[in-house]
Amino acid sequence: MAKPKIAVLCCNYTNSATDEDFKDFPCEIVIKRFPCSGSIEIVDILKEFEDDAEGVLVCGCEKEKCHNKTGNLRAEKRVLGAKKYLEEIGIDPERAQMAFVPRLDTGAFVETVKDFVEKILNKR
Amino acid sequence: MIVAERRHLSEILKNIEPYNKVLILGCRGCVAICSTGGDREVEIIATALRIARKRQGKPLITYEATLIRQCDPEYLANLPELMKDAEAVVSLACGVGVNLIADLYPDIRVYPGVDTLFFGANTQLGVWQEKCRGCGDCIIDLTAGLCPIARCPKNLLNGPCGGSQNGKCEINPENPCIWHLIIERLTARGELDKLNEIWEPKDWRTYLGESPRKRIREDLIKNNKREG
Repeated sequence: MAKPKIAVLCCNYTNSATDEDFKDFPCEIVIKRFPCSGSIEIVDILKEFEDDAEGVLVCGCEKEKCHNKTGNLRAEKRVLGAKKYLEEIGIDPERAQMAFVPRLDTGAFVETVKDFVEKILNKR
Repeated sequence: MIVAERRHLSEILKNIEPYNKVLILGCRGCVAICSTGGDREVEIIATALRIARKRQGKPLITYEATLIRQCDPEYLANLPELMKDAEAVVSLACGVGVNLIADLYPDIRVYPGVDTLFFGANTQLGVWQEKCRGCGDCIIDLTAGLCPIARCPKNLLNGPCGGSQNGKCEINPENPCIWHLIIERLTARGELDKLNEIWEPKDWRTYLGESPRKRIREDLIKNNKREG
């Protein structure tokens, strides 16, 4: 049976995690990096669900720490927008989440992903 | 602009239930400006519909396109080509676009993807407010540019009504009483006497009397072979 898939869409500057960091996770973690979380669109989140992700975590820099000032806040709005679509098609909107993580702190990023994975897998 | 709101996806899904291949058709006019039916929304809605149908075990193929305007026959001329492989179209244009497709292409099954709401202004990001009812007989030259037909819930021509409190509307206290604002503005300009004049009765025939309304400019249609 295939491992469940979790997608993480993140600002490139939040971490430098590699597959090695997730090797012990009970699921497949797909990391997609963006120049800034503000460039993550609602459709990017939905397309992960279309590609069978069980959850999508969007990671932006901590509030007031975004290099582009408000990219992370924009990402938060996009997650909110995506939740609305998910709800309307019968997918638990909690399966899409926004997280604000420290810049270039891979440890904190991996912990955030781990927490999200636990929440999603508990829904099974 | 014409302000519209996306329909609940369950309504769209119900309409396209019999079909396996659907064109999602956006419009770069008003609905794009009010973030309801432009390129971005076409892509989002197509994706959401595909996910929903995949979960139902009835995969959906979507085709995506956005026209410059759906309210103009010349931009719709390419529709049959866009529909080549599709069984139905979900139009994200306002009701004008949907109607025009239905008029011009009786064989195309067209379904609305949005509900058309009102003529409004984008007063802040994510907020649109009605400013005009399209009644066809403007009186805003007399009311400091503020329309009581669109902006007073009672459409009063002689407000404020007794329910206006502290400049707020009794129907929705979040809204200013538009007649309160009209009187404030005219007073400040020294033009309050405009309201002492007896107005002709408002001609509602321009709004309700000759539906559907039509506007003709002879100078533009002269020697034009197109009919309709």
